[in-house]
Amino acid sequence: EDLFENEGAYRQVIAGVYANLALTGTDGAGTSNIEGIDAGTSQFGRVLLYMQTLSADQMIWSYENDPGTREIQRNIWTAQNPLILGMFSRTHLTIALANNFLRETTDEKLNSRGVSDAVRADIVEYRAEARLLRALSYYYMMDLFGKANFGTETDPLNSVLPVAETPQLFEFIESELLDIEADLVPAGENEYGRADRGVAHMILAKIYLNAEVYIQTDRYSDCLNYCQQLLSSGYSLADDYRHNFLADNNTNSALNEIIFPIVSDGFTTQNFGPTTVMINGSVGSIEVNGTEVGVSEGGWGGALRVRREFAELWQGGDFIDDDRNTIISDNRPIGIVDISDRDSGYIIQKYANVTSTGANGIDQTFVDTDFPLFRLADVHLMYAEAHLRGGGGSTPTAVELINDLRIRANNPNLISSDELTLDFILDERSRELHWEAHRRQDLIRYGLFTGGNYNWAWKGNGSNGIAIPSHLKLYPIPSLSLSSNPNLTQNSGY
Amino acid sequence: TIFGQTNVTGVVTDEANALPLPGVNILVKGTTTGASTDFDGNYSITANEGDILIFSYLGYATKEITFTGQSPLNVSLSEDIGQLNEIVLIGYGTTTKKDATGSLESVTSEDFTKGNIVTPENLLQGRVAGVTINTSGAPGSGSEIKIRGGSSINASNNPLIVIDGLPITNDGVGGSRGILASINPNDIESFTVLKDASATAIYGSRASNGVIIIVTKKGKAKFSADYDVQFTFGDIDEQVDVFSADDFRALVNSQPINGTTLNTDLLGDTSTDWQDAIFRQTVSAVHNATLRGSLFNVLPARLSFGVTNQEGALLTSKFNRRNLSVALNPSMFDNHLKINVNANLAFEDSRFADSGQIGAALRYDPTQPIYDPTSPFGGFYQHRNGNTLLLGTTNPVASLLQTNNQGDANRFFGNINFDYKFHFLPELRAVLNLGFDQTDGNTDNFSVFATNDDVTANISRSFQTRKNQSLDGFLNYKKTFGDIETDVTAGYSYQRFTNDGSFSGNRLDPLSVGDTFADPDIVLIGFFGRANLTFFEKYLATFTYRRDGTSRFSEQNQWGNFYAGAVAWQLSEEDFLKDSETISNLKLRASYGITGQQEIGERDLFLSRYRAGNENSQFQFGNTVIRSLIPSEINPDLKWEETKTLEFGIDYGLFNDRISGSLNVFQKDSEDLLFNAPVPDGSNFSNSIVQNIGNLRIQGIEFTTNVDAVRSEDFNLNFNFNATFLDREITELAFGQDVTTGGIAGGTGNFIQLFREGEAPNSFYVFKQLKDAQGNYIEGAYVDLNGDNIINDEDRYLKANPDPDVILGFQTNLEYRNFDFAFNLRANIGNYVYNNVNSSRAQYELLQDNAVLGNIPTSVTQTNFQRTSDVIISDVYVENASFLKMDNITLGYTFRNLSNVIKSVRLWGGIQNVFTITEYSGLDPEVFNGIDNTIYPRPRNILIGANIKF
Repeated sequence: EDLFENEGAYRQVIAGVYANLALTGTDGAGTSNIEGIDAGTSQFGRVLLYMQTLSADQMIWSYENDPGTREIQRNIWTAQNPLILGMFSRTHLTIALANNFLRETTDEKLNSRGVSDAVRADIVEYRAEARLLRALSYYYMMDLFGKANFGTETDPLNSVLPVAETPQLFEFIESELLDIEADLVPAGENEYGRADRGVAHMILAKIYLNAEVYIQTDRYSDCLNYCQQLLSSGYSLADDYRHNFLADNNTNSALNEIIFPIVSDGFTTQNFGPTTVMINGSVGSIEVNGTEVGVSEGGWGGALRVRREFAELWQGGDFIDDDRNTIISDNRPIGIVDISDRDSGYIIQKYANVTSTGANGIDQTFVDTDFPLFRLADVHLMYAEAHLRGGGGSTPTAVELINDLRIRANNPNLISSDELTLDFILDERSRELHWEAHRRQDLIRYGLFTGGNYNWAWKGNGSNGIAIPSHLKLYPIPSLSLSSNPNLTQNSGY
Repeated sequence: TIFGQTNVTGVVTDEANALPLPGVNILVKGTTTGASTDFDGNYSITANEGDILIFSYLGYATKEITFTGQSPLNVSLSEDIGQLNEIVLIGYGTTTKKDATGSLESVTSEDFTKGNIVTPENLLQGRVAGVTINTSGAPGSGSEIKIRGGSSINASNNPLIVIDGLPITNDGVGGSRGILASINPNDIESFTVLKDASATAIYGSRASNGVIIIVTKKGKAKFSADYDVQFTFGDIDEQVDVFSADDFRALVNSQPINGTTLNTDLLGDTSTDWQDAIFRQTVSAVHNATLRGSLFNVLPARLSFGVTNQEGALLTSKFNRRNLSVALNPSMFDNHLKINVNANLAFEDSRFADSGQIGAALRYDPTQPIYDPTSPFGGFYQHRNGNTLLLGTTNPVASLLQTNNQGDANRFFGNINFDYKFHFLPELRAVLNLGFDQTDGNTDNFSVFATNDDVTANISRSFQTRKNQSLDGFLNYKKTFGDIETDVTAGYSYQRFTNDGSFSGNRLDPLSVGDTFADPDIVLIGFFGRANLTFFEKYLATFTYRRDGTSRFSEQNQWGNFYAGAVAWQLSEEDFLKDSETISNLKLRASYGITGQQEIGERDLFLSRYRAGNENSQFQFGNTVIRSLIPSEINPDLKWEETKTLEFGIDYGLFNDRISGSLNVFQKDSEDLLFNAPVPDGSNFSNSIVQNIGNLRIQGIEFTTNVDAVRSEDFNLNFNFNATFLDREITELAFGQDVTTGGIAGGTGNFIQLFREGEAPNSFYVFKQLKDAQGNYIEGAYVDLNGDNIINDEDRYLKANPDPDVILGFQTNLEYRNFDFAFNLRANIGNYVYNNVNSSRAQYELLQDNAVLGNIPTSVTQTNFQRTSDVIISDVYVENASFLKMDNITLGYTFRNLSNVIKSVRLWGGIQNVFTITEYSGLDPEVFNGIDNTIYPRPRNILIGANIKF
């Protein structure tokens, strides 16, 4: 209670809700406020990357002695997997922090504390943002687990929470986002790092695009509608594709493209999050090219590589000059027969801890590069896909939006309307948005994640890939989480 | 014949050390004629030839000598071995061995383990059944002390240590080596270990893990002076086997890694044994001077001064300590008021060496030199490309020599004890004890690191102060009513702990900022009472009650009630045994009681708190850095963990107590364990908080025997044997869920142990290794235990646990004329160790150490394992680490009556860490928590010393 005597505390506490997306604890990157998973690994973006990207066809993690990674990248996970627990618990923590903020900023409490009008005006925005971050969290729970412990600000601390299944979550996310729209700062007008109306529209576009997966209902026209709103909200593609993935992506031309970042800073916001992992991890074991991407020479010695199927997306003459093609293949076989042999398989150099003007980030391990959780290029691709799936809009616009991305990437091979197919879009999404924590969701929407229609290297624990059962579309409820809430039930198949 | 009366004179001395005994009573048997010895042990009495003279002295065996005209009649008395009337300490008072109903054991200074004892707990090592003491090889380092294995899981397993009535904290300060490291073993008079609930319940809330009561030496009226000196020469005689430079070259050239080609150009052309390079032979010295005597002839006092200078086996590490201690023990008002003042000053001065460099020495390329004159990194060889360091292990010798991490800790602790016997009611005593303990620690770090970062060095400083203040007072009433003896105590106790400090940050790094902290104080308040009743000198009963409050819990839960009861039957006082020649003592005991536990890391978990991020854990809005505030998890329902102990015991003495000891059988059930257990996600500010969930059961048998095999003028031989059988099992966990524990090296966040219902705590959780037809391991192949054709986490099983099933201790002392000889043996049976040295290093792929080459243990030639990730969780690394150790062996010779000034000189020599017999493949089977990831090795020490008495 003493805390809120200082009105500045509200800003610090809402920052604490945001911080849970970037940080794992309050005492450095090696500390954590959740248990059951390595501290640094429990960072939100990191576990999200594992859930959405490592489990699919774009990425391989070399060090399978890091608990949980082997089971995720080979699709043999169990409810004991610490990375799945990390995702479930970290995301629910955001929900708890958001609810706490909402509880502490009711009119009643603000009145009793006599909060000044200026701060109360800010708090209106903060409250909308807290609800947005909560909706964002439920969106990921719905996508990955199909259910969540359902707590709002009305549930007291330490209560045994009810559970919401997908339909209820879908409805809640949708209604919340629509409800807070007016209180949110208009798209692109908030301080960097804070969410605005654009983020709400992005989440809506995402749930509508995947509505057939979630609630077996076609909502493509709603998706297209929000894509259009986003396209006309003042966002613009960065001048250079790579600006989105550099140390100064919070100030360079990517500022207009990134709709919502996960903030990282080599000094003030140190974390073992997705950008730190991908930049250090993508340094090659043979190439020892860490200095090129602004980290120590050896980086993490070849922790990350790409799978054959991803590498093959760039083959043929069409992508030689494409800026999005950062593959390094010299002296490397394309296939990975032995996952721990770090000299096999191609590596990429998508992210870097170097600014657009060539300066290195402040630290050689902890990068300054923010993770682009949502960015405009995805909206271009979603528009095209929603259009093809019958959501309306126009074909020329869809083609143009795709070609905008190619032009920006300096790829002279533009597509025609004949080439605009769903299969093409899936591949183009991989080329544009690889390693950005979208791939599993995309493959599920295309019906390719489970089953045997598309088998990528190491899918189902076979080096050439084998079919996996359909229940793997959802992750299991982590056994610790399951045990502590008697209202939770395990997903079928586990 | 009638003989005339004669004046008999002589000197009475102590048989053990030939020192004169003042105050010995001499009585002519059957008369009232008596005398006593003066300060020099001289006496004079008139007696007739044929009279029997009785020499008696408290704590010594009474001697009867027939006077036949000897002149002078010199007598030596030996300390009383019959222990029935021996005074033993219990919390807030004393009792006699005979009247004790609880399970307790005392070790006094003459029984202490001998050898290179730097910290006091080692005086007890192997001495007491159920007590294990595990000390690292680092100089002056602290120990893990456990009584009966510890009764908790997440909360503390440390026993309560009480020094002169002051319960001390288990938390150390930066700059100090440990909570007992500042205490001079030479100042300790006795240890008493309280084990069962009846004995410990008077300490209620902090007694679940047993209590160790330490009493320091007191002043005496008689003047004496002592000087002790000891030199220790240490050497590390065992190393982890890694490849020699030549073998390493051959191995690298053989390209043993599938799919990866090692760059043989990286091989150097020298040969270095990096373990030899980081370890050294050590010389250490201990000096102690003690003065005892009466100040102004009225104030018994003791003054001691000790200097300990210890070198560590690991390069640069050292531990120096200076101790000054004063004890004043005046009595006033005709002995109605006794005052005991103890004041101790300790100055610790340490240099800490990073023991992580032991691991680096195992890894470092043996074909490279230690020094390289062209190196920009301080002239030390480093793997580098010009001025750029290559990624890989850095030179361990450079890391040790270029790091200067100094620690100073100044500690003052002491107490004033007033013990007043009421003038009008001498059966009633009031005792007031005020205790104070403060440690100021600081660490200074001056380090240069070989790094490519801009900031290549660290100069930082930190300070920390811990204070512990206690006040307790009690009334004691002791009176015999006919055949009933009563001894009733009631009192109050208050204790406050504070902790604060500061950190300067790295002064060379402009971005680094300092920090200060002040923990919330912890306050403990207790009300206690105890009644001891003895009927007909043979039926005994004790009832104890304590009500305790702690600031760690919320108002509703902060009080706990703890009680215990015990009964005992002194069977040997019954008529049918009273005159037995064989059985001199036989007592049956039974006790039951509840003790508590509140010691967890968090001090205010029940409160709503926000934590601000440190300098590296903040958030940014726009270009502004915001000190984000995150609420911490809350549990307002936290309450006391309780341990219920049921115990049956037998104390026995045979042949006039020449053979004595006890047998205890106990069961401890810890309930409402303070356990970090999951909470519904989203309902709190973590997914797991400390809650009162889970039960732990400990069952055990303890057996002790002391044998005075030979007792004669010239030849004494005694030995002590103790055995403990322990079984710990988790009987309930939160939601029946397994909890992972035991983090290991090799992988981020990897763990090897599990808490599971129905199993011992910390059991190893591993995959079952498959072998081929020839019996060779198949790398990465495990038994599919659940038969689902997938090897994943569900195929791990529990194999053994780190706790021994049986703990044995054996000591023997032999005295022949002026020679004394002693050794001790210790054995653990059934303890297992996970060999993390091998599991995370002994694979061929690690020959590639990022950008450079690295050495690996030669045990790889037995497994032929290629890759760490395939094998790290394999059960082949869980090894039986049962052992038999001889910790110490000493031989001494005493020169007596050298001159008027020097009373005696004892010269002695010994060996510490004499041998270890074990099948464990690593360096030392005695590791903390069962995970061996390089230990600070325990050197073999040769000791010589002298003890001079004036």
